[in-house]
Amino acid sequence: MTATHWLLAYLAAVVAVTFIHAPWFLAVLLALALAASGAARWRIVQRAVLAGLTFNLTVSLGYATVALWQGNFSAQYLLLVNLRVLLLLQLGFWFVARVNLIEACRFSPTLSFVVTLAAGQIEAFSRALRDFRLAFVSRHAAAPALPARARHAAAQAGHLLDKSVCMAAETALAMRSRGCFDDYAGLPMLQPAPQPAPVWRPRRPDAATAYRKP
Amino acid sequence: MHIPDGFLSPQTYLPAYAAAGLAWAWAARGLRRTLDEETVPRLAAMTALAYGLGLVMVPIPGGTSGHALGVAMLALLFGVRLSFLAYSLVLALQSLLFGAGGITALAVNALAMGLAGSIAAVLAFRGLRRMNETAAVAVAAWLSVVLPGFLVALALGVQPLIAHKEDGTPLFFPFGFSITLPAVLVPHLFIGAGEAVLTVLVWRFAQARKWLPSPARGRGVGGEGLERL
Repeated sequence: MTATHWLLAYLAAVVAVTFIHAPWFLAVLLALALAASGAARWRIVQRAVLAGLTFNLTVSLGYATVALWQGNFSAQYLLLVNLRVLLLLQLGFWFVARVNLIEACRFSPTLSFVVTLAAGQIEAFSRALRDFRLAFVSRHAAAPALPARARHAAAQAGHLLDKSVCMAAETALAMRSRGCFDDYAGLPMLQPAPQPAPVWRPRRPDAATAYRKP
Repeated sequence: MHIPDGFLSPQTYLPAYAAAGLAWAWAARGLRRTLDEETVPRLAAMTALAYGLGLVMVPIPGGTSGHALGVAMLALLFGVRLSFLAYSLVLALQSLLFGAGGITALAVNALAMGLAGSIAAVLAFRGLRRMNETAAVAVAAWLSVVLPGFLVALALGVQPLIAHKEDGTPLFFPFGFSITLPAVLVPHLFIGAGEAVLTVLVWRFAQARKWLPSPARGRGVGGEGLERL
């Protein structure tokens, strides 16, 4: 299976999961996904649990509070929604661990270009923002005031804006130098160079026809 | 504000994908015509910028902070189409690489934050810039946060009405409008204020860098963004 096929299979699986409303069936599917994830399964589960923890915990606790107060609490609903979210996250992280996302976008060269460039630049931006934050924390012994935090956020955003404009120009040059763009697109096909017109010279008489002095 | 996977019913996200597909085709139509050595890196850079702006913490009065959206900034500086495409790509990358948001919620998130946020920002700026440019930028940024928040609250709040068992037990998101609207909108009124301050400061930065011409001419990057809508 190619990476694009994996992408299609993943998308189909995600849609199918949202049509299942039986918690036991979702639990079986989650067990199957765990079994298929191989040696990295526990790392993937850990990532999935952490990614969904905040929102799921908030919704689950809110639902439990409101439903208990109104007298229509359903433990099956809590199980259903948490299993579904965990299964979807597990499938997503397994897909990303199993398949190269950029390979999966090969069906569209432009999308591949954009995803490759964006993923690289996202890394660079994340590193720059981490540096900004560490520098800001190191400059403030106490909790910074609101205006200072606003200026800091603006400085970060301005830096990102500046950097992205420069990086776009740099990347364009780098891509051009590697032949990513067809510089001759739209130009007429090259024709063979025309032969130079012969220059007229007076014919030099050969020895047989040369005028001889009587 | 991102809706995660698993809380939207197929009755919501499948029509949303159909609508988002049309919107993506509209946004890419102009780009495909000029997909050259400037457009491809620019789209990638804007995508990374949209991602980076989402990491910037907006200070909120009271000591807390929220994430910036950056949609208004992108829409005012680079146009609605580029902003919408870049934001959609960011949402897809975030959901696949970091588990933030989700593939089923991608269309709703993109339509709410990327498209509605961008259009609201540009229209508000266009309507108010003659009165006061700074106020126009601030209102545009505030609206670009509050309107998507409202739409996200609607998408979540409708779930118990359209996807439930026969006994009324919800199958997806459990809370109706009476809870989602105040729970989502009230914090976003404050996040919108923080975003407005941030956007005005960056707008001034862009003016200082001469990315934006004098307001009297009303042309240039910001003007270009408006014309592209």
